[in-house]
Amino acid sequence: MSKENKEKVQMDPKYILTLTVTLFVTCVIVAGLLGGVNAITADRIDAITKEKTEAAMQKVVADPEGSTFSDALELTEEMTAAAESCGATLAEAYAVEAGGAPAGYTLKIDASGSQGIITMMVGVDAEGVVTGVSIVTNAETAGIGSKVMSNELLPSGVGVLDQFQGKSAEGGDLVVGSGVDAISGATVSTKGVTTGVNAALAVAGVMG
Amino acid sequence: MNLKKQFVEGLLTQNPVLVQVLGMCSTMAITTSFFNGLGMGVAVLIILTLSNVIISLIRKIVPDKIRIAMFIVVIAGFVTMVDLLIKAFVPALSESLGVFIPLIVVNCIILGRAESFSYKNGVAASFFDGIFQGIGYTLVLLAMCIIREFLGAGTFGGGLLGPLNAAGSPAGIQILPEQFAIKVLTLPVGGFLVLGCLIAAMQWALSRPKKNKEESN
Repeated sequence: MSKENKEKVQMDPKYILTLTVTLFVTCVIVAGLLGGVNAITADRIDAITKEKTEAAMQKVVADPEGSTFSDALELTEEMTAAAESCGATLAEAYAVEAGGAPAGYTLKIDASGSQGIITMMVGVDAEGVVTGVSIVTNAETAGIGSKVMSNELLPSGVGVLDQFQGKSAEGGDLVVGSGVDAISGATVSTKGVTTGVNAALAVAGVMG
Repeated sequence: MNLKKQFVEGLLTQNPVLVQVLGMCSTMAITTSFFNGLGMGVAVLIILTLSNVIISLIRKIVPDKIRIAMFIVVIAGFVTMVDLLIKAFVPALSESLGVFIPLIVVNCIILGRAESFSYKNGVAASFFDGIFQGIGYTLVLLAMCIIREFLGAGTFGGGLLGPLNAAGSPAGIQILPEQFAIKVLTLPVGGFLVLGCLIAAMQWALSRPKKNKEESN
């Protein structure tokens, strides 16, 4: 506020103090109430998030019944760099165990689709082969990109997400058009998922 | 306090969306399925009523110079509470509305009613203003959802009725065969088109009786 303006404003210190105290007290009361609501809901929200993550992970491993998942692993710089080199972001990583033996990883990856970020869970087994892809959240266009998200069948009869099963990084990065088929009209969304799968393979490669 | 007048104002003559043209962002963005429209409408109705009551209660102690700041603190508090409660108890709704629940904070219907109504009126009147304006908003959302869903996807009651889709949420009852659906209506463009038509229809309906009177004079 400039000097000229200051003189026009009522400069009664008592008035200014009233303003400050009123606003401060309001904020404190609201913050207190929010704390209360948060205390009630925090556990439930955590449980729901965890349940969703587990459900998403079970969809992408080879043996959903026999697999157990570790807590979220610490992400190393190497891992995030591997994902970034493919154009996607690594959000979370979990180690998978099947029958007591390590059986690869499930990786939560963010990649850009046509309308925003597609968050997907990708399962990669110990040999570096994709065991499954499932979409956690997306903002793809309803009726077009959403067909990719809901694993619509390709003309070949395989689901667009299921087609990644069994693919590995051996022949280089996966590319839509050669080996990976897009849902017609939803090429960008399919490319987004493919980017995510490539990133997952790269991360799994780094993790060994 | 004139309940009947407030009721008519909230639903028709001062409808928040169609006449005051407030809250456009959410109206356009979430009206793609019945469940979304209903959830958003009810969430706004609850927050609007609560914030109207509180703001009316504190209106005498709120200094004029900082009233907007106080309104926003109160509104943001309620929105965050509702957001947390929805996340904890109706996760499906929080998933499909996503960022639009926190964005209710800046929904101008709520700040608009705080500034233009509850800051100047009693608690009871403000309470009913919240309810009626909320209902007015919800009804417009539902109308838009029904039109966009029916013409855009050929379904009714998406997210609430009908067979489960691959994502595990009800896809709505198919009324029109899918190949006759006009996909563009489910896109943001379609939101503008449908809303424009609704506003035009509303203005026509509201101006009609006046014209008749003028003519008869």
